[in-house]
Amino acid sequence: MNLFEAIAAGLDEAREHRGRTILSLIGLTLGTASIVSTLALFGGSSQRTQDFLNEVGGAATVIVRNEWTGRVQLSPREAASPRLTFRDAEDLRDEAPSLRYISAARNWELLYEGPRHQFIGEVVGTLPAYMAINSIAPRRGRYLTELDIRERASVVVLGSSFADSLFGSTDLAIGRDLTIGGERFTVVGVLEPEYFSFAAWEGNAFEYRNLRAYIPLSTALKRFASDDQIGWLTLEALTPAAIVQAEKEVETVLLRRHRVRDFNFDRQSTDVQEGQRFMNLFNAIFLIVGIVSLFTGGIVITNILLSSVVERIREIGVRLALGASAFDIFAHFLVQSLVITALGGLAGTLLGTLLTTTVQAVMQLPAHVTPPIFLAGIGTATFVGLVAGLFPALRAARLDPVEALHYG
Amino acid sequence: MTPALITVEQVRKTYSLGRTTVEALRGVDLRISGGEFVAITGPSGSGKSTLMHIIGCLDSPTSGAYWLDGQEVSRLRGTALARTRNRKVGFVFQNFNLLPRLDIVENVALPLRYRGGIRRRERHARAEAVLARLGLGERLRHKPDELSGGERQRVAIARSLVNDPAILLADEPTGNLDSKTSAEIMRVLRELHAAGHTLVIVTHDANVAAEAQRRIHIRDGRVANGEP
Repeated sequence: MNLFEAIAAGLDEAREHRGRTILSLIGLTLGTASIVSTLALFGGSSQRTQDFLNEVGGAATVIVRNEWTGRVQLSPREAASPRLTFRDAEDLRDEAPSLRYISAARNWELLYEGPRHQFIGEVVGTLPAYMAINSIAPRRGRYLTELDIRERASVVVLGSSFADSLFGSTDLAIGRDLTIGGERFTVVGVLEPEYFSFAAWEGNAFEYRNLRAYIPLSTALKRFASDDQIGWLTLEALTPAAIVQAEKEVETVLLRRHRVRDFNFDRQSTDVQEGQRFMNLFNAIFLIVGIVSLFTGGIVITNILLSSVVERIREIGVRLALGASAFDIFAHFLVQSLVITALGGLAGTLLGTLLTTTVQAVMQLPAHVTPPIFLAGIGTATFVGLVAGLFPALRAARLDPVEALHYG
Repeated sequence: MTPALITVEQVRKTYSLGRTTVEALRGVDLRISGGEFVAITGPSGSGKSTLMHIIGCLDSPTSGAYWLDGQEVSRLRGTALARTRNRKVGFVFQNFNLLPRLDIVENVALPLRYRGGIRRRERHARAEAVLARLGLGERLRHKPDELSGGERQRVAIARSLVNDPAILLADEPTGNLDSKTSAEIMRVLRELHAAGHTLVIVTHDANVAAEAQRRIHIRDGRVANGEP
C-alpha cells in the first residue's frame, strides 16, 4: 500500500464524514492561525526594533554618562575627579582602537530668538562624529565640521521643527542669523525631519531630535560654560561584537584621568529591549492561546479517530484476514490523521495569514507571514496530527484478527 | 499418497477467560493434500472455528505444529504470519465481508495491495481478470451494496483467488444465501476444485458437506471420525 493511496484513503474518509472532520479540525485550525499570526507579528516587531537600533546607532553604540551618586558628601577622590570632559574625548581618540566614532556632547536649555518666534529650547554642543553615529543628515546646508570645532565657529545646525518655527521654513533658515542664549549664530544646515514609530498609535519616537539645534562643542563650552565638562560621550565600536573590548579600553582611559569610577556605560540595545518586553508578553499570550488550542484540538482529533477505529473494527478484521500487517493498519490510521490535520493546518495557516494582514492594515503594525512561518504553521498542525493519531493507530494495529473479524 | 499441503499435528488451543481456561482444541491431527475438497463439520462450540482460524493463519496454536505448503506456520507470529496469510490463504466468509466504500475491483485487489510491490494498474488488471472468470466482468465499478447476495459472494470468492493462494478457506459460504443462490455458489466452488484448487469448507450444513470429497468431523476439540 503506497503513500499516495493512503493519502487518498484519508481524504475519502474526511469527505465521507465531512461534518465530523470539520468539527474535529476547528481547534486545530484556530490554534494554527493563532500561532501563525503571532509569529508574523513577532517577526515584524523585532524587525522594527532592529531598525530602531540601527537608526539610533545600532547595537555597536554605547553612551558614557557621569554617574551621580546622589550623596551630598563626596569622597575626596570623587570631589577631585574632573568628571567627563572634552579632553576625555580627545584622549579616547588616541587610546581606544576598538572605537570607530567618538562623540562628546553637552546640552543646555537656552532662549532661541529668531525672526518669527522666540522660545526656550534644547541646544546640543557636539562633535562631527555625532552625525555619523546617530545617522542624522542635513536636508539643506551641512553638518558641523572639524574646522568648526577647531575655530570655535558660531554656527548652528537646526532640527527641522526648530527651523520651521524660527524662520518659517528650511529654505528661509539657511545662512540666516539667530541668537541662542544671547549669542549670535549663523545657520549652516537644517536636518532632515526624523520620524520613527513602533506602531501607529505611538507618536514619533524621534521628535526630540527635530526639537533641538547642534553647535560645535568647543564653541558651546566657551560661550555657555566655565569648564570643559561634557554631558555624555557617544561611542561606536568597530563591530557590535567589539563593544565589550571597547568598553574596557574606555574604562582604562577614563579611570586613569578620573581616578574613580564616576561614569557608567549605557548600551542602546538594552533600552530598546526593555520596550520590546511588552510586545513579547503580548506575543507570549497569543502563543500560549495557540498552543492550548492546538492541544485541545489534538485531543478532539484523538477522540474522533478512536471512535472511527471502533466503528471500523470489523473492517480492520477483514483487512487483517486479507493479509494486512499490523503496520499496514497502523499506517492507515496514522496517515488518515496526518491528512486531516494537514488540511486543518493549511486552513489555519491561511486564516492566520488573513488575520495578520487585517491586523497589519488596521493597526499599522509591521507583520509578514514569511514562507518559514507558513511552513511552521502547517508543520505544527501535522505534528499535532502525528501525536493525536498515534494512540488510535496503535489501538487499531493491536487488534486481534479473530476478535476483530467477529466483532459486533 | 501426494505430499500433504496441510499438516496439523497435536494442535491444542486454550483460551483463558479470567480465572477459567477453555480448551478449544485438545490435540487435533489432520492432513489435507493439494487439490482436495474437504469439509470441516461439527456443532457450534466444537472448536471447528478455532481450527479454521489456525489453518487460516489468523491465530496460532498454544501447542503442536501446523505446516502449510512446506512452512511451519505454528512458529510464525505478527507480520510473518500476516504475510503467509496474504500469500497462502484465500478467505470466503459467511457474510461476504466486502468493504462497502470500495468498488468491487478495489475490493478484489485488496490482497494484492497488502502483498506490496505490485502497481495499482497491474493489481486492477488482475482483479478484473478474476472477476471476469467468475462472470462479473460487467459490474466492475459497482459498490458491493449494488449487488445481489450471490454476486457479492462471487466477488468475495474472486478476492480469495486473486493472490493465487495455496488453499481456499470458506467459512459457511452459503450461510447467508437462499437455496438457489447457494447451489450457484457451490457450483462455483466445485468448478474451482475441478480446476485444481484446494478447498476447505467449514460448515454445519449437511448438504454443503456432502459436496466435499472428505468430511472431517470435530467434536469437543478433537477430530471425531478418526481418519487424519
